[in-house]
Amino acid sequence: MKTGKELKPGTVLRIDNDPWLVQKAEFTKSGRNSAIMKTKLKNLLTGYKTETVYGADDKLDDVILDRKEATLSFISGDSYTFMDTTDYTMYELNAEDIEAVLPFIEEGMEDVCEAVFFEGRLVSVELPTTISRQVVYTENAARGDTSGKVMKPAKLKNGTELQVADFINIDEWIDIDTREGGVYKGRSKK
Amino acid sequence: MKATWDIFCTVVDNYGDIGVTWRLARQLVAEHGVAVRLWVDDLRAFVPLCPGADLGAARQMQQGVEVLHWPAEWAPAGTADVVIAAFGCRLPDAYVEALCSRPAPALWLNLEYLSAEEWVEGCHGLPSPKPNGLRTVFYFPGFTERTGGLLREAGLLARRVAFEADPAQRAGHLARLGVQPQAGAALISLFAYENPQLGGWLDALASAANPSHMLVPQGRIVPELCAWLNEPELAVGAIHQRGTLTVQVLPFVSQDDYDRLLWCCDFNAVRGEDSFVRAQWAGRPMLWHIYVQEENAHWEKLEAFLAIYRKGLSEPAAHALLTLWRAWNMHQDMDAAWRGFMVHWPELQAHARQWCAKQAAQPDLAMTLVQFYRNWL
Repeated sequence: MKTGKELKPGTVLRIDNDPWLVQKAEFTKSGRNSAIMKTKLKNLLTGYKTETVYGADDKLDDVILDRKEATLSFISGDSYTFMDTTDYTMYELNAEDIEAVLPFIEEGMEDVCEAVFFEGRLVSVELPTTISRQVVYTENAARGDTSGKVMKPAKLKNGTELQVADFINIDEWIDIDTREGGVYKGRSKK
Repeated sequence: MKATWDIFCTVVDNYGDIGVTWRLARQLVAEHGVAVRLWVDDLRAFVPLCPGADLGAARQMQQGVEVLHWPAEWAPAGTADVVIAAFGCRLPDAYVEALCSRPAPALWLNLEYLSAEEWVEGCHGLPSPKPNGLRTVFYFPGFTERTGGLLREAGLLARRVAFEADPAQRAGHLARLGVQPQAGAALISLFAYENPQLGGWLDALASAANPSHMLVPQGRIVPELCAWLNEPELAVGAIHQRGTLTVQVLPFVSQDDYDRLLWCCDFNAVRGEDSFVRAQWAGRPMLWHIYVQEENAHWEKLEAFLAIYRKGLSEPAAHALLTLWRAWNMHQDMDAAWRGFMVHWPELQAHARQWCAKQAAQPDLAMTLVQFYRNWL
């Protein structure tokens, strides 16, 4: 059992006995301290997609999924191939299957991901909570600001843009929290 | 055969929940000919809005609406064709089970809070399939055609125009409330939650060159009014003068009388959701005290409304509007903000009329709900 606020990409819900993969989940505060979760769901049997909304406290049936460690092997167009780190099996996913984590998928990444399986079939991939990425472009830092409160846009290798602290420079590595769509955490120790 | 509608309302605090649901229920009955049962868990909040209602009645008919006390222990009561759970309230389990066993499915709607934020359009009308096979639909009121609209009774604006055109109606209504405004005094209504910025605003009004007369229906702001006046308490009808400001406490009035009060006033300070919408239909400059949320989530909602409401104003007038509303809701200097606001008074007056007309061009919430049900069938 999961509540609406616990939904995240990779969760599979059982609705009308069909398995539905959460591809995207957006948490929003509505009124008077209540909240909703807007989701994009994909029926794993039919491929049909739909959008839904759940209250933060709504109770939902989730499907227990198999999970295995995997790393990105290569990208070919819209196809992303991951490799099981224990038996080296290769699995392929489309970009839309990993829409939520796509902004942080890039060639050469070394993150050990969680490959999510439903009845033996790979349905999505989840990134670690914290990942490190290299900044390929950002404006020069304003002189003297080391507080980390002043933010500016920065671009990653795959083109993803996010806000980083003003003191971050080109080629530096940053830590990103992947849980809320990708939020800058700080300068990476990498 | 009439479609049947059940509206469920839990009174969390204040009059917002019951205010919206009671208004919606009345309109559905009066204008759309449907049978409405309004389930309320706390009739103490309902009675002030509907004078004449019976606090102890488990069931009563009021203005064509069957108003029922929603008991803690639910007793089987049948289901309706359309079920509205207002503001995320949880329906009784037994009622939900009864919905599951209906031969024809019911349309179950979650009527959500009003917000001008952009995400509302993307969530309005989306389904919420449940594990038990039932589906609810999230239904959002709002300010654009991609939302459910605002509550607005047919003929409301025409009634307002007629009221404004007839000085005797205005004088009569004020007299019934015990108000005798001084000639030339600006009338201001004040309905707000507790707000420490009140003193700054009252200081500005009291020291202004032009007189003003503030009318305060009983409510949560009164203790702060007492503090500013240095009075231990303020009874209904109490009138106090400070400088050029007269302050008067009014009784809590019915929804229709509150509308007329807004129409009598030059400026209306409102709060929450229901009075906020009514102030927009009054077509006068207004000030919104938004419901405070954790982590100041309400600030985004305030800014979202200001972003759409300010459109069409000159930059200085928009700045004055933003400054006043932010001061009231974000604990900033109301004295200076009010003085700055008054500089743009004619423009802000005209803008309030235009905003009202623009919103009135869209279908109202009751209408869109009925249409949604028809399309769903």
